[in-house]
Amino acid sequence: MKRISALLILMFLPLVALLGCGKKEGPAPQSTGSGSAPEPKAGGELNLFGWSEYIPQEILDGFTKETGIKVNYETFASNEEMLSKLLAGSTRYDLIQPSEYAIEALVKQKKLQPLDPARIPNLKNIAAAFRNQPHDPELKYTVPWMGTTVGIVVNTEKVKEPVKGYKDVFQPKYKGRIVALNDAREIVSWVMVTMGMNANDVTPENLAKIKPTLAEWIKLVKVFDSDSPKTALLNGDVDIGVIWSGEAALLYQENKNKFQFILPTEGAHKAIDSLAIPENAENKIGAEMFMNYILRPEVSKLISDKFPYTNPNTEARKLLTPEQLANPASYPPLAGMETFHDIGKAAADVDKLVTDLKAAQ
Amino acid sequence: MNTATGQVIELQGPRRRPGVRGWLLLAPLLLWLFAFVVAPTAIMLVYSFCERDELGQVVFELSLSSYARVFDATYLKILLSSMKYAAITTVICLVAGYPVAYFIGRAREGVRNRLLMLVMVPFWTSFLIRTYAWMSILKSEGLLNGLLLYLQIISAPLDIMYTPTAVVIGLVYSYLPFMILPIYGSVEKLDNALIEAAFDLGAGPVSAFSHVIVPLTRPGILAGVLLVFIPALGMFAITDLMGGSRVPMIGNVIQNQFGQARDWPFGAALGMTLLLLFSLFFLLGLRKEQEG
Amino acid sequence: MRLRTMSGIKLSNLLLCGWSGLVLIYLYLPILLLVVYSFNDSRMSVVWEGFTFKWYGQLFDELVAHLGDERRSPLIESLSNSVIIAAITTAFSVVLGTAGAFLLYRYRFPALRSITALIFIPMIIPEIIMGISLLIFFKTVELELGFTTVIISHVTFCFPFVLIAVQARLAGLDPSLEEAALDLGATPLKAFFLIMVPYLLPAIISGALMSFTLSMDELIVTYFTRGPKSETLPIKVFGMAKVGLNPMLNTISTVFIVATAMLVVFAESLKGTARRLPDES
Repeated sequence: MKRISALLILMFLPLVALLGCGKKEGPAPQSTGSGSAPEPKAGGELNLFGWSEYIPQEILDGFTKETGIKVNYETFASNEEMLSKLLAGSTRYDLIQPSEYAIEALVKQKKLQPLDPARIPNLKNIAAAFRNQPHDPELKYTVPWMGTTVGIVVNTEKVKEPVKGYKDVFQPKYKGRIVALNDAREIVSWVMVTMGMNANDVTPENLAKIKPTLAEWIKLVKVFDSDSPKTALLNGDVDIGVIWSGEAALLYQENKNKFQFILPTEGAHKAIDSLAIPENAENKIGAEMFMNYILRPEVSKLISDKFPYTNPNTEARKLLTPEQLANPASYPPLAGMETFHDIGKAAADVDKLVTDLKAAQ
Repeated sequence: MNTATGQVIELQGPRRRPGVRGWLLLAPLLLWLFAFVVAPTAIMLVYSFCERDELGQVVFELSLSSYARVFDATYLKILLSSMKYAAITTVICLVAGYPVAYFIGRAREGVRNRLLMLVMVPFWTSFLIRTYAWMSILKSEGLLNGLLLYLQIISAPLDIMYTPTAVVIGLVYSYLPFMILPIYGSVEKLDNALIEAAFDLGAGPVSAFSHVIVPLTRPGILAGVLLVFIPALGMFAITDLMGGSRVPMIGNVIQNQFGQARDWPFGAALGMTLLLLFSLFFLLGLRKEQEG
Repeated sequence: MRLRTMSGIKLSNLLLCGWSGLVLIYLYLPILLLVVYSFNDSRMSVVWEGFTFKWYGQLFDELVAHLGDERRSPLIESLSNSVIIAAITTAFSVVLGTAGAFLLYRYRFPALRSITALIFIPMIIPEIIMGISLLIFFKTVELELGFTTVIISHVTFCFPFVLIAVQARLAGLDPSLEEAALDLGATPLKAFFLIMVPYLLPAIISGALMSFTLSMDELIVTYFTRGPKSETLPIKVFGMAKVGLNPMLNTISTVFIVATAMLVVFAESLKGTARRLPDES
């Protein structure tokens, strides 16, 4: 009888494998038959897959009130979470909110639908710094939502020396007082730019070169946190850190005399979160209506009121208070900064390197 | 641990041959297991032998490279330290939880359920909210340090947050109920006559406890150990939040493969190895139990 | 029922009581803090900035708006989703776990070891692997993601906890108990419900409590198996942590705990001292 159960398992296995293969090999069928209908209409529901706590409820309510389209807002906490659920294809999303490197990968794999600019006239409000980006140079697939960068935050009550760049942070005297993002690609990029490399030049040789410095830096860090790195600073457990600008902006709002935001002199990079329409979306028209809606200055302002990241909408910025615009972490000079490119399989090497060094402590 | 797995399933009762009825009754459970445990696990097993593409998704090409990486010294070391944390947590939970379970189990009948609820209710608030509350207790400008400084027990704030101590406090907190509840189930059915007999024979409380009560509640203890050790081994959120992610746990490593590292096959291989390791323990424990 | 009053026993009882009190304080310490913070007048909820009722006011407003269909409150919606999912999960887990433990005890199944090993898999397998593999499985069998898939996945990792708790209770059970009932002419089904269920009740209750707790708090498996309309509280809370935990979370938790406690006291007082478990001695 024990053999029978083993046999059952064995019989079951190839079946499952087969099903799995079938899914992967067959390209997803294009449901929209080249959409040549004269005046396509928006569907009654919009499945939106976005970052958690990034889209104010007022915006969703306002959009529904105006168009009658109900928005189902499902959230994710990282690009990878979003990608794995999107690519598994179990739910059809009409609108997703990927960051630039995820967009690059999705465009490469032809997973996004080109937008119809005629339906998104408000696209003109997007600032120049958010156009001509390598992941989507002509904004053919995406509408920028918000921009962020990574920078240094200093608790000026505890750290008196001037801090200008990464190398001022990662010093032995700050050992056990530093918070860093728990993100292998980020911390590796900090060492790379400090050593004069381009952050997108992730090659085995460069990784080997930065390894000794990276090992030193990792030893100095007390807390690695990507989800809420501001907590350790607020709690007084650390005094200095390299964190998302949005988190820094919240710290600045909390106590602008205590927390100072500094863009590292070695060079920072920017990140752009955008809205995009997956290839198998069922309500493309509704998705484009939503994009156009959030690009209205008064709607876009609502996002900035709630989440102090860099608003890409020039018209919306005119509506912001001087205080909002003066927040150095919300509006750092993004213009010259590069974005991260998708590094594909090298992501595993970067992760392995950081895991190794953390475990070696 | 080994003996635990053996003991729990080696229950002796009025055992019968199952017959058609037995199998029919068990069918729903078996179906559930095959549909939602065996099938998904098999998918992952297949994945662990595959290659990956740029997005980390699975490409169906037979490959053993993921398993080759599992035996890297780094990952073995991480596995060992995860086991260490899980073991410490289990021991503390047992020592701290047993008396509580005993107390509840011997309490008046009407009070028991209320006490049980009292133990569980804190865990109906979200894990993250509880953890943040712990952080405001343990942080360097937090309640604990404030109190100790005020009482002049210490002169400078203690560094508790983001240390192994904080991790253990968090782990024990999260898993303590899972030790208390099964032990309670065993204590509750203890036969008073047996305990009284022990006292009549002149045993003191300590001797009665170690010679009569512990052996009688052994199934509950073993179940509790199982329910704490296994989940604690794969836990990563607490080590992230309370330990500052400085020391990676095996759970973190696996999580990362499906996230940033984008290496699903390797993540699947690590998971399967963990499963295999556990099955080995399980079978070894079973054999030992049968021999003993 | 009480042990004899020897001074040693008295002392050890006192110690037991004291220790249990200490452990309960440990369990309630963060909860107490959370209750205090629910009256804190700070947005970031880490620094005390004075006493306020405003979060309770806001919660009440949201509740009224949500129930009155005036405005959706994602927070309240996710809380009610979580409670519904946890309740259904618990019901399924109790049935599956109790029946499973009993059958594995009653009958000598040939593949017992393999079956038991399978039951342990959901406990040992990392949540992310379970989540992703269930996601792929649901996609393969074309089950639409939503409440059903979340509940299925929750039951899968919850019922082993019930099963193990019940197994521990069954261990070393006096077989004559059930046989006596059968001898008296009860059908096996009747004997099960009249004799076994009451005997197993303490283990069933603790198993149910564990299921409910696990389901209320699960994050990762839920993430992968939920659909657009089945957001749960842990997912909501996890997202919120990024912008700073909303103080209303403290308020919600406080209200929820107080409500639960009142419900329990109410239910117990209704029952009075009615239910008595049969003593097997």
